[in-house]
Amino acid sequence: MKKIESTIETIVKDIEKFYVEKTWSFLTLNGVKLDAETTEIQWIFSKYAAMDEVVIFYIEVTQEQIIPSIVELIPSAIISQREIVDMFGIAVDGSSKGLYLDEDSEQMPLSNCGI
Amino acid sequence: MGKKTINIPLGSQHISLLEPVKFRFECENEKIIKVDSDVGFVHRGIEKACTTKFKYDTVGYVVARICGLCAITHSLCYTTAVENLLEGEVSQKVKYLRILLVELDRIHSHMLCLSHVCENAGFEAMFMQIMGDREYIMDLQEKITGNRIQFDYISIGGVNRDLSSELIKDIKKNLDIVKSKVDEYIDEFTNNWSLSLKFQGIGALSLEEAYSFNAIGPLARAAGLATDVRSESNYLPYDEVGYKMQMASDGDIYSRNMVRLNEILNSIQMCHNIVDGLPEGEIHTKLKGKPNGESLVRLEAPRGELMYYIKGDGKSMLNRVRIKTPTFASIPAFMEVFQGSNYADAPAILASFDPCISCTAK
Repeated sequence: MKKIESTIETIVKDIEKFYVEKTWSFLTLNGVKLDAETTEIQWIFSKYAAMDEVVIFYIEVTQEQIIPSIVELIPSAIISQREIVDMFGIAVDGSSKGLYLDEDSEQMPLSNCGI
Repeated sequence: MGKKTINIPLGSQHISLLEPVKFRFECENEKIIKVDSDVGFVHRGIEKACTTKFKYDTVGYVVARICGLCAITHSLCYTTAVENLLEGEVSQKVKYLRILLVELDRIHSHMLCLSHVCENAGFEAMFMQIMGDREYIMDLQEKITGNRIQFDYISIGGVNRDLSSELIKDIKKNLDIVKSKVDEYIDEFTNNWSLSLKFQGIGALSLEEAYSFNAIGPLARAAGLATDVRSESNYLPYDEVGYKMQMASDGDIYSRNMVRLNEILNSIQMCHNIVDGLPEGEIHTKLKGKPNGESLVRLEAPRGELMYYIKGDGKSMLNRVRIKTPTFASIPAFMEVFQGSNYADAPAILASFDPCISCTAK
């Protein structure tokens, strides 16, 4: 498992540079709380036909920041992006709330987990 | 005939899919032109419970309850992720026994899917027959683990029961019976009009779409995308037990059926190889320490890639348990397949996806 640090400003460009559709499979987005304010957001990829080759791009964001979307590059990312919005209460560009929760819900179930 | 646009819901309660998922189809006459989905009816908050209510050594039994069909794969994926962060290694015998249970899970799960495909084709007799034959595998699982579903067989450092020589005989006998049944199914699925011609070219996912939507599991392999975690991860010694990737190329319902049927045959062969060549050794190893750091493990569940990410800091409670389930990740691909299909085919297409909303609403 290889982790590559990025920033909220450059993450889409970094993934665009890295992602080759027939080489890498996008697995999911993940969020990990680091402290009350900060969350590590991860974009996880695995390589087709390679043994345990997993690459994780990650950035640190605060609750108020808006994570850019990668849906134009990877359409299947939409559902993971919506999950992050619901579970962590962090906005992702173009991804609406309401996958699991009600659209007007103020809950964010994983926003205080693990800290 | 003029074009008329109508909106038709499929689910959340529907005769063709007894699970709480809803698809909203916008149809132009019979053709589906737009799809929306809602998968969030029964979310259970298991990821949160795993980091707030349960210690790391009990979480494996919690995640086994995510799904009744692939309980073993869930508990094994989590347990392997934890074992990566502890000191010590499980025996080769344990790894073989774990593969045995994962493959039995795959056999009965694929049989369930195939039976539902028959039901959606109006072939009720075949549905009944496959569900009845599936009991041979369920019986084996009960004898090996003590439970028909939601088995607590996998534990950190090993498995909870060994195989007796009597049980090995039962396993071989039941597997032989199921193999002969599957040979008959293949004939039916290939030659019976209801299950072959009717499904050819229906609900197709192209190879390009499979790449574009990151398709996984039988959905991907039926479209010609050669991906299977059993060949892309070495946590379990699949190369020693006769694993062979099963592929098709047309990506339609027929291809998905054939991939699943061939995977059942390969799983039966692997189970035979495992019990014939079961290594000597302990079924449990005491592993030291508490999870400290990050670990990510992928396993091939019946519906495709299952992923667990865990993070611990040396305490009994984990900081994060992230579960990526196959059906959840495949929803965008499902929606792509529906688009352009006839509404009348939607229930059969959905059954051929083999969706598991229990996993999705984890």
